[in-house]
Amino acid sequence: MIFKAGSIPWLLGHEMRLAFREGRNKTQMIISIVALAIGFLFLLALGTGLGLALRELDWAMTPAAAAVIGGVAFVVFTFMLSMALAAAAQALYVRGDLDLLFSSPLPPRTVLTVRFLAIAFNVSLIPFFLLAGVLIPVAILGTPQWLGALALVAAMGLMAAALGLLLAMALFRVLGPRRTRTVAQVLAALVGAGVFLLFQSGNLIDRDRQDGMADQIEAMIRGTVTIQLPPFADWPARAAVGEPLPLLVIVGLAVALFVLVNQSLGRRFAKDAASAIGANTVVRRRAMAGDFAHGTFAATLRKELRVLLRDIALMSQVLLRVLFLLPLGFIMVRNASEGANVLLPGGAAALSFIAGQVTASLAWITISAEEAPDLLVSSPAPVRDLNRAKLWAALIPTAALLVIPLGLLAWFAPVAALAAALGSFASAWSAGMISIWHQRPGRRADFQRKGNLHWLIVIAIMIIQALIGFATFLAAWLLTWAIIPAVLAGVFTLALRRSDAQILAALRER
Amino acid sequence: MTDALVLSRLNKTFGTKAAVSDLDLTVRSGELYALLGPNGAGKTTTLRMVAGLLSPTSGSISVFGVDALKDPADAKAMIAWAPDEPMLYDRLNPMEYLEFVAGLWGVDGKTARARAEELLKWLGLWEERTQRCEGFSRGMKQKTALAGALIHEPRLLMLDEPLTGLDAAMARQVKDVLQEKVSQGATVILTTHILEVAERMADRIGIIQHGKLRAEGSLEELRALAGGGRETLEDLFLQLTGEAAQP
Repeated sequence: MIFKAGSIPWLLGHEMRLAFREGRNKTQMIISIVALAIGFLFLLALGTGLGLALRELDWAMTPAAAAVIGGVAFVVFTFMLSMALAAAAQALYVRGDLDLLFSSPLPPRTVLTVRFLAIAFNVSLIPFFLLAGVLIPVAILGTPQWLGALALVAAMGLMAAALGLLLAMALFRVLGPRRTRTVAQVLAALVGAGVFLLFQSGNLIDRDRQDGMADQIEAMIRGTVTIQLPPFADWPARAAVGEPLPLLVIVGLAVALFVLVNQSLGRRFAKDAASAIGANTVVRRRAMAGDFAHGTFAATLRKELRVLLRDIALMSQVLLRVLFLLPLGFIMVRNASEGANVLLPGGAAALSFIAGQVTASLAWITISAEEAPDLLVSSPAPVRDLNRAKLWAALIPTAALLVIPLGLLAWFAPVAALAAALGSFASAWSAGMISIWHQRPGRRADFQRKGNLHWLIVIAIMIIQALIGFATFLAAWLLTWAIIPAVLAGVFTLALRRSDAQILAALRER
Repeated sequence: MTDALVLSRLNKTFGTKAAVSDLDLTVRSGELYALLGPNGAGKTTTLRMVAGLLSPTSGSISVFGVDALKDPADAKAMIAWAPDEPMLYDRLNPMEYLEFVAGLWGVDGKTARARAEELLKWLGLWEERTQRCEGFSRGMKQKTALAGALIHEPRLLMLDEPLTGLDAAMARQVKDVLQEKVSQGATVILTTHILEVAERMADRIGIIQHGKLRAEGSLEELRALAGGGRETLEDLFLQLTGEAAQP
């Protein structure tokens, strides 16, 4: 490394290297770098187009533009904050190399500053990368002041990290070490979900209000209606386009907040982190009543459901995907109540697709992310029974989630509901079976990186779910053509089939 | 009486490296057999093959007369395998864990519950039966895993480093449990780096090195093999494996 050993940049470099390598082997790292390079080239092309367009345009910051840019910045900041909260809560519990670093002669303040900076860096990375790709050509083509947006993103990252740390430690004080991690993770997921629902709010309101809002936005853009922003509300937008005063003030505030939090809470953070060790004991006061489950299937199903439902953080990540159901449900019910049109079978198709996606996620957790695989392999339990129980453990929560939207749909459009139910079952079943046939042992912690199914299998699952979704769409419209995509989906699913012996052989090879 | 375990010309290679090489080993029914060897000698690989976790490259494994390679389910039904890292679920409590393990081995629900109660009381885990394993100390985790290994009353119990990381009281308790199981007729095979444990507990000791059995027998038989002195097992082990500390 080029930096002096023990310095903040040196330690930060170490953190970044670990973060980049986490869960990736050499091949995966090369693939990641190539994918990033391709993505960056695409962004550069996009930025070139924008830069050329801006040369022809006499652009000025209007209140409407400031509101839009400020709104986008707020949404991005909310995402950053949710990520920072989850990362800060995690940092309290995952010791990793913290003990090693604290036991070294490095000043604890340096260690903590780097850990906090790493949070800021991680939450800023994606927006910074996306913006940099677009803004670099824009700057070269004559609008360099827009690079201010990059400084704004860095400032937002520092602020998000500082507020995330404050929030995590406040939760720690109020809830204690045992619940903080779970609550913080759920809260972080809900913040992210809240932003999604905000974007979808147009679908959640009735048509008249939707039309009214569209008219208002159009009038704002045409300039026939002006809006009055509160004082300083346009500063983020002005900072983003490089106006010196707003940019300096926002960056200065972010740095000050970060330094303040780092200086004042660093020592307490270290103390909280120490007291978080061994705070995992969870006691269920009520003892188990009745007999144990009998047989492999019942015992495994019960165990899988227990383990799934108790991993609140993981379930909240899965349920985040289900949030897509909410606006979809509203669209379906609204269209069903107004008379069938293309959106009704479309909603049924989307339901089946989502059922497959949720089941695939749960099946990955129950099947591939088994915590004690050796226990299962060393038992005489038939692999088929184990897999069947794990598949059902993934299907049951999916079914529970679909009951309400399907019930509502059945009330208004029974045929579409029947098609949606059949499509959902087929999609979920095929996703579950493929997860069994192509299981690859992984860790639950890898779930956010979509597990470790082979990417070809992930694409195959998507194609099959799209085919089933299309069949559901046609069936909801009572079109017999539905049989064609349905049969194709069945053929593709069966083409991926592996025997128990082949599954075992594949697992042993790993 | 049928031998508990018979390994014949067992081989396991990983790539070009032979982990177990033409291993012949017989463990008699009802004995406590200690498998010793330096790190990387092939002890764990051997036991993992017996437990059905690894396929041998060649050779045969017989468990109480059942061919474990041809009829793995029948062989596994008689075996319990307890590795050095306990195979537990953080989000289950000991009762729930035992319910699951009993289900895997097909133990009737009512019987399993009674056995679970008995085992948890016996191992001193009854008060913790409703606590999730995630907060357990290493010793408590080891004992929970041991309860899981015993819930189906295995005829052959295989333990990999069962005393690693346990304090003196817990280690004593685990040793007592193993000896009691042997006195009840079970067969126990354990690997250990604590030679004193093998010296005091084992009926017979096998010393394995580079995947081959270098020596086998009771402590007296090993002493005779090494020249008939009054050496400790540690001396014998170092002599037989040539692993004496370098100056």
